[in-house]
Amino acid sequence: MASPAALRELQRELETKADDLNKIQKDISKNHQVRKKYTIQLGENELVLKELDLLSEDANVYKLIGPVLVKQDLAEANANVRKRIEYMSAELKRLDTTLQDLEDKQNSKRDAVLKVQQRIQSLQAGKAKA
Amino acid sequence: MEEAAKKGRVTPLASLFPVEEAQKAVRRVHETLSEKESELDRFRGFISDNTNLINLVQKLPEGLHHNIMVPFGKAAFFPGRLIHTNEFLVLLGEGYHVERTSKQTVEILKRRGKALQSQVESLKATMQDLKAEASFFGITASEAAEGLVEIREDYVEENFTERESQSGPPKEHPPSFSEADKVKVAVEDEEYSCMVSRLDELEKAEYEAGYGNETHEDIENVAVSDEEYARMMSRLDELEKEELEAEFVNERDEDNAKLAVNDEKYAHMIARLDEIEKEPETECGNERDEDEKIKADFDQSSDQISLDKINRFSESRKLLEQTKDKKSATEETLDKRDTQKDLTDRLNCTGLTVQSRPKEEMSHGKGLVHGIMKSTPLEKALVLPEVKENVQAASSLRSEAPLQDSKPGFDSRKAFTGSIIERAHNMQTSSSQQAATSSQSTVTQPSKPVSRFKMQRR
Repeated sequence: MASPAALRELQRELETKADDLNKIQKDISKNHQVRKKYTIQLGENELVLKELDLLSEDANVYKLIGPVLVKQDLAEANANVRKRIEYMSAELKRLDTTLQDLEDKQNSKRDAVLKVQQRIQSLQAGKAKA
Repeated sequence: MEEAAKKGRVTPLASLFPVEEAQKAVRRVHETLSEKESELDRFRGFISDNTNLINLVQKLPEGLHHNIMVPFGKAAFFPGRLIHTNEFLVLLGEGYHVERTSKQTVEILKRRGKALQSQVESLKATMQDLKAEASFFGITASEAAEGLVEIREDYVEENFTERESQSGPPKEHPPSFSEADKVKVAVEDEEYSCMVSRLDELEKAEYEAGYGNETHEDIENVAVSDEEYARMMSRLDELEKEELEAEFVNERDEDNAKLAVNDEKYAHMIARLDEIEKEPETECGNERDEDEKIKADFDQSSDQISLDKINRFSESRKLLEQTKDKKSATEETLDKRDTQKDLTDRLNCTGLTVQSRPKEEMSHGKGLVHGIMKSTPLEKALVLPEVKENVQAASSLRSEAPLQDSKPGFDSRKAFTGSIIERAHNMQTSSSQQAATSSQSTVTQPSKPVSRFKMQRR
């Protein structure tokens, strides 16, 4: 009859939709991790900025680049840190929107999966009755 | 449990908070709690390290140089000297180091220590919340396991319109009601049950006040069937009121085509209605209010007066009922007063619910009128202004409407078979009226005044 074939088809559809859902969920978790990292770094940078502001003009600032400790200008260091902070905030915002999109897509996929499942169930119930 | 049967509901706590789920919740909260605790330990470690460092940094400048064992690689040391004891390269973060003196370093370290402390505080607060949550879950789980039950009862006095709580069947739906009013009850909601109970109360009060021995019996009987009929009566009352109003309005609005038949009688009734309604003066918020007002009106006036009014009301109501299909209405206390068989019948049909409310205030009478007026437009001959959900028998009513009699005697559909005649004299007058207006009176007038319920029971 047509119903076994239809059933199989529906099941395949269910699998593909479930895969999509999984992918989206992985994306969402990755997004979360990146966001966390960025958030921590942002906090650190803000601390650094605070301390740098407390420094007097003639203090020596060094930056550790790899194994090398390089002397830096206070003003330069300030500017760098500020720029980093701005960059990281922008990144976070971008990540937020991406996360939102991913979540929406996840919800819609979930609904689709549910619908397919329901159809399968109804089909099976119909077959069982018949 | 009887309580549930009567007015209340007993809910085992386990049903609301399943035992396993509560225990699972407890476990979850405990896990989170332990995580937070480990974080707290880490923070404490940091704070102690910071304090040690501060002490060291303060101690170092005490000498010009120190002889130390310098670590060399992973597993070796060699003897050496620590010089420049007041110069510190402090890591600020993000790879930035700054040269500071001992005092300045100590200041930086102290600031860091404060930041750590604030983090610890917030963590502790979170843990407190989690602990409270865990204790709540634990208590609920243990209670549910013990089989504690939650007993709920209606507070009928106040909360007529209270909706069912999500936990289940309407509490306000005593079984006795449903028996009698299956047809109507299905549609009605708790309001009617409220009205019914009110009706009962009012009836009882009336009986006690207005009647002698006869009524005792009636009261007893009434008490038995009150719930059943009260609803219907209230409905009938409402319907009648609506009819009356419609009639009334129609006359005013020249919508008399439908009323043409009943005009004279209606006019009489309407006039009576007006009188009654004038008493309550409050504005009619809504039909409900109005009805209530009318009821209140009735309530407030003495029983006799109310009886009179009821009489007239019932008459008018009969007519109204016939002409009205539905009335969105109000639970009116008219029901209590009016309950003539016809009325009740009609009310049943039209779903008018008249509730006798203990004292709504004068506005009731007015309300009734207003309600009637609202229902003015009788689109069809019998279409009455919408009765609130009560109108199941609307169609039947409609059919009857032209006849003008809603068959007080009884409708097999309805629990009430006849008009309910509240008072002896009322009954008589009403019955005569009814006879005049319609053919109903099958049950109407026994030689002696009988409680309306009795009448209905024919």
